[in-house]
Amino acid sequence: MDHIAPVINLGGFRLDLSALFMIAITSVAVFVLARLAVRNLSVDNPGKLQNFLEWVVEFVQSIIGQATDYKKGKIYLSLCMALIMYIFVGNLLGLPLGIITEPAHGEHYGHFLGFDLPGAKEAGDHVAYTWWKSPTADASMTMALAIMVIVIAHFQGIRKNGKHYWKHWVTPSVVFTPIHLVELMAKPLTLGLRLFGNIYAGEVMIGVILGLGWVGIPALAVWQGFSVFVGAIQAFVFTMLTMVYISQESIHSEEH
Amino acid sequence: MNFLWENFVIQLIAFLILFLLLQRYAFKPLFGIMEKRRQMVQEQMETAQKNRSEADQYIEEQKQALQQARKEAYDIIELAKSTGSKQADDIVVAARNEADRLKNEAVREIESEKNKAVASLKAEVSGLSVQIASKIIEKQVDEKANSEIVNKYLEDVGTKS
Repeated sequence: MDHIAPVINLGGFRLDLSALFMIAITSVAVFVLARLAVRNLSVDNPGKLQNFLEWVVEFVQSIIGQATDYKKGKIYLSLCMALIMYIFVGNLLGLPLGIITEPAHGEHYGHFLGFDLPGAKEAGDHVAYTWWKSPTADASMTMALAIMVIVIAHFQGIRKNGKHYWKHWVTPSVVFTPIHLVELMAKPLTLGLRLFGNIYAGEVMIGVILGLGWVGIPALAVWQGFSVFVGAIQAFVFTMLTMVYISQESIHSEEH
Repeated sequence: MNFLWENFVIQLIAFLILFLLLQRYAFKPLFGIMEKRRQMVQEQMETAQKNRSEADQYIEEQKQALQQARKEAYDIIELAKSTGSKQADDIVVAARNEADRLKNEAVREIESEKNKAVASLKAEVSGLSVQIASKIIEKQVDEKANSEIVNKYLEDVGTKS
């Protein structure tokens, strides 16, 4: 069985419906969670959700503090909060369920609101469309976040660090510039693909265990528990590396 | 796994929108509240610190006041003691003077009484002597001349005795 994404073609723009769907759900979930937490803000008597969100803020503050000087990294607090919440929620969303549709019997491809969904690569293959998955289980989406982070890092580097930023390209000499270029390419690649790889592998594993049938239920429970752990760790790692990269490029510390 | 640049764009835009919304409607008020709480805690700590130092100061003041009061009480007791002893002395002196005076008066009175008694006794004795003498010698003697004689005699007796 071939699980493929339900992509429709809008005049050359290939719209991945499941990605759109999951991005929207994750974003709404994060936003609703945040709004619920700040609904009844109180200085001296915070509610449970407010306490939780404040704990997240303090956690992110400690991440920033570890990566760089907290005072200089303070402006990235909102960015890191949004990243860690979005990635964490996104990582977990793919775990509990899956929504899969199959084309009507006898057809080689499905339909959605009148649009044709892609069919099997080879005639006679059975196709199924995955509607529910982690948004972070898609390389193009994790790479979007990763490249955004790297662009922010370099942009802030040019804006705030000026001379030191340009100088780091030829440090210790011009010979090393290609190495710096490789690093420039490697950073977003590792950042994005690490997240994608972990979450995608987790979901593939869930699919494999589901294939076991009833026997796989204990293994599924164990694996889902582990995936929650992996999801949390990956959200943490992504945020941590975000701050590390931003601080490397844009925050000029004394020892450089 | 195929890489869709459309997903890339969608994710980027979606995340930017999410970030802006979160920033505007969730994080800003939350950070504001956290900052407010931080300030509140700091204020309370400062107040507590101030209160403590004030309390320390008050205790110090109380201690000093107590010391002062104790000293004053001691002074008052000392003063009372000295005043009391002085007054006692005064009373004793006054009493002694009074006693002396009374004694002297009494002595004088006794003296004068004695003198009076002696005088009246003298007169009595002289009268009696005259009667006795006149009875004895049976001769009327001029009482006055006789009393002179008797007085003289008695004086002689007084000086000899």
